[in-house]
Amino acid sequence: MDVGVERFVKKGFTCLLLLGLMISCAPQASEQETTSEFIEEVLAPEEANGKFPYRRLSTYGFFAGEMANLSPNSSILPYQPASSLFTDYALKSRFISLPEGTHASLDGEELNLPQGTILIKNFYYPADFRQPEGKRRIIETRLMVHEEGGWEAYPYLWNESQTDAVLKVVGAEKEVRFINQAGEEQVINYLVPNKNQCKSCHNKNESLAPLGVQTRHLNHDVAYGSGTENQLAHWTKLGKLLGFEGKSAHPSLVNYEDKSQALNDRAMAYLDINCSHCHRAEGPASTSGLFLTYGQKDPLKLGVYKTPVAAGKGSGAHTYDIVPGDGDASILLHRMNSTEIGVAMPELGRSSIHAEGVALIRDWINQMEKK
Amino acid sequence: MIRSLLLFSFAFLIFGCGSQSDEQTFDSSTLRRATPEEVEALVEAFILAEDSSTIRIPEGFYELKTQLILDNKTAIRIQGEGMDKTVLSFRELKSGGEGVKIVGKDITIEELSIEDAPGDGIKAQHTDGITFRKINVTWTHGDKSKNGTYAIYPVQCKNVVIDSCIASHSKDAGIYVGQSEDIVVKNSLAFGNVAGIEIENCDRAEVYGNTARDNAGGILVFNLPGLPKGDGRQTRIYDNDIVDNNHENFATPLGDGPNGNTVTMIPPGSGIVLLAAKEVEIFNNRILRNKTYGVAIASYQVTGFPAEAPNWSPYTSDIHLHDNSYDRGSLFNLPDLSRELGQLVSLYNAHGWLKTQDIIYDGIWDESVSASIESNPMRICIQEPNLESLRFTRFYLMEGEDNIDSFSDSSPFQQCKGPSVDKLSLATTKKYK
Repeated sequence: MDVGVERFVKKGFTCLLLLGLMISCAPQASEQETTSEFIEEVLAPEEANGKFPYRRLSTYGFFAGEMANLSPNSSILPYQPASSLFTDYALKSRFISLPEGTHASLDGEELNLPQGTILIKNFYYPADFRQPEGKRRIIETRLMVHEEGGWEAYPYLWNESQTDAVLKVVGAEKEVRFINQAGEEQVINYLVPNKNQCKSCHNKNESLAPLGVQTRHLNHDVAYGSGTENQLAHWTKLGKLLGFEGKSAHPSLVNYEDKSQALNDRAMAYLDINCSHCHRAEGPASTSGLFLTYGQKDPLKLGVYKTPVAAGKGSGAHTYDIVPGDGDASILLHRMNSTEIGVAMPELGRSSIHAEGVALIRDWINQMEKK
Repeated sequence: MIRSLLLFSFAFLIFGCGSQSDEQTFDSSTLRRATPEEVEALVEAFILAEDSSTIRIPEGFYELKTQLILDNKTAIRIQGEGMDKTVLSFRELKSGGEGVKIVGKDITIEELSIEDAPGDGIKAQHTDGITFRKINVTWTHGDKSKNGTYAIYPVQCKNVVIDSCIASHSKDAGIYVGQSEDIVVKNSLAFGNVAGIEIENCDRAEVYGNTARDNAGGILVFNLPGLPKGDGRQTRIYDNDIVDNNHENFATPLGDGPNGNTVTMIPPGSGIVLLAAKEVEIFNNRILRNKTYGVAIASYQVTGFPAEAPNWSPYTSDIHLHDNSYDRGSLFNLPDLSRELGQLVSLYNAHGWLKTQDIIYDGIWDESVSASIESNPMRICIQEPNLESLRFTRFYLMEGEDNIDSFSDSSPFQQCKGPSVDKLSLATTKKYK
């Protein structure tokens, strides 16, 4: 089961050195130099003049005290989707900033966020995943700003000293080391997307759109200091949300990591949060005819005995997206289980394999009734 | 189907030595290397582009680690200094399905080369008005198994022009137009690909003045099931050179059979392949030295895959073939035995073992239209000069692989009127003149 570390993730120094020699690390080193020079240069002071995007993350004033603590000031709201999109095991802390005096509103499935809303998502790695609250390194912060003409995405890259992050529209590459849950040292080549790559996932009818901040992902219980409460009920209580009529009145998805839930619900939650942003009628992968939203009932659209269209080498030696009863003969699993660019799905956001996700989808396909 | 033919796989060992090509149009390694700052400026130029502007890319070899994405912009021209002067290399790309991605309206990309993208070379999606002019998209790996899927890939677009481009060495189709409307592919060259030019689930495509050579299959018109855009119709293929398409099919590793991608089933030596195609007119082409067949007219059932889907029919219908010239090439250019369709032709054609065919028709018809194929229920119209000197085979495959039959009589398909495919008048052809 060590396939997850095929290409970029290498254990120990020797392998890393070898890899470095093979792909010639010289250009990489020079890029990192350029990146730090760049960061020095743009860390010059900046005024919060209301014209977005700011050059520095600190200018927005989201966080109180030391930036690296990511402690929200009182005006911003933490949020948490029930299931999370896999991005190379990075942990995320998420906040939503609503303009003063405004609120979100719910209409059935549709969550409307007022203009001026900013979604703040911080990507970080604990030094040791067995102590997630311990020492950590923040890599990037992605902002999605609801502007007059719609949503815009702005990626901010953190400096080494973790005092601030700067806007970097062309993306970046960062080597990240951590100890995983099993106590093994891991090295990941973390890719910060360029600004336009954001829309490869955050895409609804070619407009930028939030992924996790959707009703079905937010409609679940969250542990607050005051006790456990439905997240949307909590927002309602705070006066930040109108239109919530109780959990059952709105769609909700389970947490795919919650093994007490039904396998089908977990698998559909996984596919929805990890795949359906592209694989839906309004997404860029509509070309494939493979639709992986949680409500999908048509077996062909879900991939059952469906032949690929433009998958190329992504198909491996396989014929169908899903072969009921045989996960390992299914293209869907093959592509989740690869890090080879051109094969790996999703196309962005990971350079390692999500072993737990692969196991979940394999189980789900294996228990499907054979034809 | 036809699994029993695998018995003949020993023959593959003897005759299956397909040709290979790693020809390059020019050598990009001698170009000046762009600096990291120039590369970053290029990435930024795509991100920050403003409507009605031109992104000029000076001469040089640009090594990109991230994608170039033009997102929702209008009237942008992306301009290099020539396909042998401005080269965008994606050999070091770290993530993303294609090297260059374009979404917008009225976009032109011209005068440059794109190399070694791990997925697709250049993809345009949801774009009304997309012109590719004098661009060259290729892979330079000696080992073609590493090559990407499509070189030039417009999908879900309208008013597409592909003019004077070169597409080579892709593992699927060099020029692939999918689920689009109003398309011109002209004066372009496709070589060394699995498929040279492919029109899939498209309405109104004009394919003319092109050369498709040394691919496994020259020009393909397909309709695949289960896609947002159902059956496409009206394609005209004329004045093309479709020659020597005898390259091995490297869409899957050598020795591996086909997978679920239809193109993996294309036998080397295929000139033109119609699969579930509707309203196609093919005329004035030179269809030369393709070792398995010049033109194949096939229904989707030959793939053996499920053949039911909404807004789509598995049958190929309303086909008009006329005034093409054919040459079967040398006697030693034996038809393919590595793919089932090649085996079918090699062993079951109506003219004798291992004889190259000019035109084959799988003869699968919709029995709800007519009880007999003699009435030409799928309206296949073949009006070639010197038809009597051509090798034509109609197969009979509808009673399984143990009862395959074949016929050389083309007369049921001669007394006909071809489909009327209206000549296109495209908005895009008028722009940027």
